[in-house]
Amino acid sequence: MVSGWVLRGVVSAHLVAVFGQPVFAGVYLSGDFDGLRMHAVGADIVTSLGYLQVIAAAVVWVRLRQLWPFVASLGVVVAETVQYFAGQDGALWLHLPLGVMTVAAVVVLFIGVWRQPVVRREVEHA
Amino acid sequence: MRERMSRRQVLGIGGALGLVGLGGLSSAAALSRRPASTGAVLRSAVPLPPAFVVPLPIPSVLSGADIEIVQREVTAEILPGVPTRLWTYGGTFPGPTIESRRGHAVTVAHRNELPVPTVVHLHGGRTPAESDGYPTDLVLPAGWGHVGHVGHGMHDPRAVTSEVTREYRFPLDQRATMLWYHDHRMDFTAPAVWRGLAGMHIVRDSSEESLGLPSGARELPLMIADRAFASDGSLAYPSIDPTLQMQPGVQEPYIAGVLGDVILVNGAPWPVSEVDAARYRLRILNASNARHYDLEAVLDDGRRLDLVQIGADQGLLRAPVVHRNLPIAPAERYDVILDLAQVSIGSRVRIVNRLGSGRTRDVMAFSVVRKAADSSRVPDVLSDDLPEWQRSEAVRVRDFSFRAGQMGDGHGWLIGGQPFAPDRTDVTTRLGDVEIWRLVADVHHPVHLHLVGFRVLSRGGHAPLPHDAGLKDTVSLRPGESAEIITRFDGYRGRYLFHCHNAEHEDMGMMANLEIT
Repeated sequence: MVSGWVLRGVVSAHLVAVFGQPVFAGVYLSGDFDGLRMHAVGADIVTSLGYLQVIAAAVVWVRLRQLWPFVASLGVVVAETVQYFAGQDGALWLHLPLGVMTVAAVVVLFIGVWRQPVVRREVEHA
Repeated sequence: MRERMSRRQVLGIGGALGLVGLGGLSSAAALSRRPASTGAVLRSAVPLPPAFVVPLPIPSVLSGADIEIVQREVTAEILPGVPTRLWTYGGTFPGPTIESRRGHAVTVAHRNELPVPTVVHLHGGRTPAESDGYPTDLVLPAGWGHVGHVGHGMHDPRAVTSEVTREYRFPLDQRATMLWYHDHRMDFTAPAVWRGLAGMHIVRDSSEESLGLPSGARELPLMIADRAFASDGSLAYPSIDPTLQMQPGVQEPYIAGVLGDVILVNGAPWPVSEVDAARYRLRILNASNARHYDLEAVLDDGRRLDLVQIGADQGLLRAPVVHRNLPIAPAERYDVILDLAQVSIGSRVRIVNRLGSGRTRDVMAFSVVRKAADSSRVPDVLSDDLPEWQRSEAVRVRDFSFRAGQMGDGHGWLIGGQPFAPDRTDVTTRLGDVEIWRLVADVHHPVHLHLVGFRVLSRGGHAPLPHDAGLKDTVSLRPGESAEIITRFDGYRGRYLFHCHNAEHEDMGMMANLEIT
């Protein structure tokens, strides 16, 4: 039960943080130099929340026997890690589309964890 | 209780999203320019010569306190057997190399026998405003009077025009380095430089000469520039108005910059230079309108030679910096030592551009033909007079965005959201003030400040790159990149410029006024 609510919390925070990234990128490209720092700090926060989410999803997998949040979170974290380095290297051809996809993936995860009841699967039918 | 999705549905939807994502990323990988490049390639319509056949020319040298240069149209042979009409300084492309000494003023009288007005700017020169070649300080050709200022859209009440000739006075009270002079006319800089209006200007001093660097025949000024040739042998350029008199600008596909498919060094296509097995000092200038290079020296067996950077735009570094490859943006200069002493006689060292593809990958070659004694050296300490401005000294921090935008009815390039206007002062600073400028770019923008040299404090929020060392007057921003630079605005009061040195961007608005009071 608790693990399910923790995952919902982390995913929600992750969603908020990841929505900040395009905002800061826009601020930066408008010529505001500080936008880059915000985008970089944002990247640290988003990636950290991503790793926390993987841990929370692993616990949900063990405690509630729900595998998909873990697999999906792992995918998002891989994407965010690639995204982090693509941004640092200035590989914008990758950074922009992958960024859009990462945001979309976090949105889907958010909907998923809030739709799914926070109960142990087998217990439900036992 | 809401309905659960079946395992099948989850896999189906997940798989579909995964496929769409993968499709998106692979299209990005396939369609994008990797590495990124800004500009469009103009293809030549004549057969191109093989690489490394035409000998490397060295421009003739002019020196002395009073120099006269006639700007005139000539027919020259750039591609073997193909006559090409050029606009030149003194009848050649590049124009003559001016050799002068630090602190010894030079007066260059330019006589304009071209069919259009011209403006001469000494890039990197610490020059009083009246000789800095402000874009509206036109030198009008004979008989231009009745045509008036048509084509130079905005009226500039401060413009000082001259009839036929103008004397530019350069005090050259600055560090020894290689500068270059080129046309800077309002709205038409890019096509005029493309047609040939560019030359090099070397400033020397005794402290540099005491170092024992390679000199004489082992010091080579190298002006790299890309061009394209039309079927009649003329230089192709996508001007809206090919007379370069009325309507400025280039055709829509080329607004990001014009890239040629022929790489010229000192006006020769992919030249070869026969050299001794010894150390050479290469004074490299990228005089291309929009093309960036990432140079490396490669032996035919694939081994790479080090490029030892000893100087930047504004003279010698404190200590040499060793590069495997050296990026160079339009208008940047690098002073580089290439040591060919260990290269076996009869072998060839190619200078290649890692950013090029196909034929634009080659730049030039050195053919090592003889053994020779070499008494030159590259000292560990090259100079001790580089300004070291501290962040705490800065009285102001300014932010500038360099990006695409709307200019009049069409696309243009903007600084801080505004296209260039001669009568609007964008930045006012006091003589002697130290400032930090923070520059942010959308695509490639080599940003150049007139009058002053600057240090690069940071790039992309991190430490500067190895090639950012020394005193610069042009900093190359890559897509989405930013840099912080610091400088002291000293030398002279008056109206100066800062701008993007992608020449097409410069003509399409990416320029701003810097008033030093």
